[in-house]
Amino acid sequence: MADKLPNTPKLDELEKGKWPSFVKEIKMAAKKSPMCADLLGQLEKSYTEKVGYWKHGGIVGVMGYGGGVIGRYSALPKEFPNVSHFHTMRVNQPAGWYYNTEALRKICDIWEKHGSGITNLHGSTGDLVLLGTRTEELEPIFDELQKINFDIGGSGSDVRTPSCCCGQSRCEWACYDTMAACHDFTMEYQDELHRPAFPYKFKFKFSGCPNDCVASIARSDMSLIGTWRDSIQQDDAEVKAYVDGGLDIEEDVISRCPGKCMAWDGKKLEIDNSFCRRCMHCINVMPKALRPGKDRGATILLGSKAPIVEGALLSSVLIPFIKMEAPYQELKDIIERIWDVWSEEGKNRERVGEFIQRVGMGNFLEAIEVEPVAEMVAHPRENPYIFYEEFFEEDDDEEGDKG
Amino acid sequence: MAKTPEEIADAMHKMVKDAFGVKKYKPMDLNKAMRELFGDEVDKKTCKEAIKLLVNSGRCVYTYFGGSFLEIPHREGAAND
Amino acid sequence: MAEAMQERRTDYGPPHYEQFLPPVVKENYGKWKYHEIVKPGVMVHVSESGAELYTVRAASGRLISIDKIRMYCDLADKYCDGYVRFTSRHNIEFLTPKKENVDPLIKDLKDMGHPVGGIGNAISAIVHTQGWVHCHSAATDASGVVKAVMDDLIEYFEERKLPGKLRIALACCLNMCGAVHCSDIAILGIHRRPPRIDHANLKKVCEIPNLSASCPTAAIRPAEVEGHPSVEVLEEQCMFCANCYTVCPAMPLADPLNDGVSIWVGGKVSNARHEPMFSKLAIPFLPNNPPRWPEVTEAVRNLVELWAKNAKKYERMGEWIERIGWPKFFKMSGIEFEKVHIDDFKHAGLTFKRSTHLTF
Repeated sequence: MADKLPNTPKLDELEKGKWPSFVKEIKMAAKKSPMCADLLGQLEKSYTEKVGYWKHGGIVGVMGYGGGVIGRYSALPKEFPNVSHFHTMRVNQPAGWYYNTEALRKICDIWEKHGSGITNLHGSTGDLVLLGTRTEELEPIFDELQKINFDIGGSGSDVRTPSCCCGQSRCEWACYDTMAACHDFTMEYQDELHRPAFPYKFKFKFSGCPNDCVASIARSDMSLIGTWRDSIQQDDAEVKAYVDGGLDIEEDVISRCPGKCMAWDGKKLEIDNSFCRRCMHCINVMPKALRPGKDRGATILLGSKAPIVEGALLSSVLIPFIKMEAPYQELKDIIERIWDVWSEEGKNRERVGEFIQRVGMGNFLEAIEVEPVAEMVAHPRENPYIFYEEFFEEDDDEEGDKG
Repeated sequence: MAKTPEEIADAMHKMVKDAFGVKKYKPMDLNKAMRELFGDEVDKKTCKEAIKLLVNSGRCVYTYFGGSFLEIPHREGAAND
Repeated sequence: MAEAMQERRTDYGPPHYEQFLPPVVKENYGKWKYHEIVKPGVMVHVSESGAELYTVRAASGRLISIDKIRMYCDLADKYCDGYVRFTSRHNIEFLTPKKENVDPLIKDLKDMGHPVGGIGNAISAIVHTQGWVHCHSAATDASGVVKAVMDDLIEYFEERKLPGKLRIALACCLNMCGAVHCSDIAILGIHRRPPRIDHANLKKVCEIPNLSASCPTAAIRPAEVEGHPSVEVLEEQCMFCANCYTVCPAMPLADPLNDGVSIWVGGKVSNARHEPMFSKLAIPFLPNNPPRWPEVTEAVRNLVELWAKNAKKYERMGEWIERIGWPKFFKMSGIEFEKVHIDDFKHAGLTFKRSTHLTF
């Protein structure tokens, strides 16, 4: 085992300070893993030379799956032989990132035996990331993960590991059961998750309310964000208690309301719920007094992504309101149609949001058989260059034979 | 007559092998090519099964270079010993 | 191999979450009524049944060792009946119905070097990527910058003295595995030098048509160079996005002299009050200056404190800037407005000021 750590004066500096130190973590792992000793050495060199030393490996994986393993090789294998291979394995996290210590300890034991001993809890997409192992260890790791019922997650042009907020397990604002939905969709799309067949990646993120704690509107191709259709549940006594307790309800609540649908007469808060935009602000400020309504479901939005390739996008509304109840069949039918159209017509590395930009939202909606509604746009078109697809001829009968 | 997944897998494998080093195919490229080649004798589902046969048997592997492809197993340029 | 595959289980998915829920969570699932922030980093959720659930949120470095996970497990066994969860921003959360466990747990966490906080009007942990620890396309490190910035801003994690929430994220290149593009403050690694093409090996490792197609500005064209079939890059069209490098490893962009960090502000994902917004460019370039990136930590602190001093209660960074206007923001922050601040990609015209609503 690694009894001697490399000299790392620059990294050592990052052992100081109050925020948890990743250098301490790597050093802790280096006591057991020579990989981590060489990782420290290579990282110190990066800190000195101001450049990274990793090569992308595009071919390693576990047999039969096309996702879940990211190949990495050191560009300096002679200098740092123990990180010559340093592949990542993405382990599909349980919905809501809940664990018991028994499961976590078993994962640690597997990783102590077969890998570097360092992890990410969690990666950006949501997986439990095992960071750094050799090609020949990949199959044994998968074999051991199977024994404890953990499967590996997505990577490449596939369904990426879905993730969700803690939803109804802890949060009173959750408008649907995000963990149940996330788990259901993850199980339903195992083939699409493990065998890349799309033009590019496709992410699902499930948020229980418009506060969107898993950033689904910015980070997922399909964003499922909880909302409600009826009125905010209101406890007038508790509203008054907040005001009596010092809350400046005019300034901190009413003036911040984007729908301008609230009024306070000194005794009672009036909300015109037909103009409420379901933004959550008043509920966030007075959680004891106000709660989302009882007719709950989700708004489904489509298409967000980071800049690569054609620029960043936020998701936009596809379905203004849908009940989120198992087996979610109506939604899954729409998803199948989206995947069909996008898989057939999408270009290599084109996310669904970019595909919609290219073919036009109107055409896209037609192809997936979803009716256009005003909730889908911030405003109707401003430009008059309209692609009308048909026109009348002089001899058409009154109904217009548009063929 | 409808093609079996095994027959489609063989046809896909030949396509991938013939293009090795020249062009990389995405699974959907192969899927489309088979439907073009065999018309009504094949559907998307059979193509999907064929791909599963190819990767489960190790005749093809998935690779990733900014997008996912199906290739003949080989040692890649970036690999270290 | 084929035989081995037949016995192999595949596509069984993650374990069902239910087995990992603490009993109090299972009993009150969907019945939570309200919550309160008891003190920094501690919430209590109260159920319709009257049951209480205390949550203690602690910072974690995201990059953690198995022995640290085992230490977390020891704490979870001691105080939380063996259950623990993690958040979307890499924090760790300990859940318990026992109020009396909260303070000893906090003490143990602090002794372990894990500050408690990040709830309410505070800075939560920085969502970030792999950087030089693991990534082939990084233009800066991730963990190191985050450590330096959070060491400096720790008071805003441990206390609740900000006007609203502040979300910082870091991505070490434009691929944005950390999807930083909707953060109050985004720290983004950038390249500034066109790819150095490895002509001798390019054809061996890449497909030229795919490579040409990868460029968003069509700057890459097939060309024979020094007798090798390869490509040429129209350098004046290169915007250093590194798409080509993702598709083809013979197009490296990393360059110690030109790589560094840019700072973007005013994005948000929550729908609360203002609709979600993208972050906008504030500081085009700061150098990579490891191990503590002093230019970056200073710039971030200045932005945090400028906003904290001037924003109204609950106003996020982007809401505040929208109210005062961007010219005021540049004036107040002392950041020089330059040519690169003006967008010149698709739909750039929509970002021009198209009114006389100006402040002087």
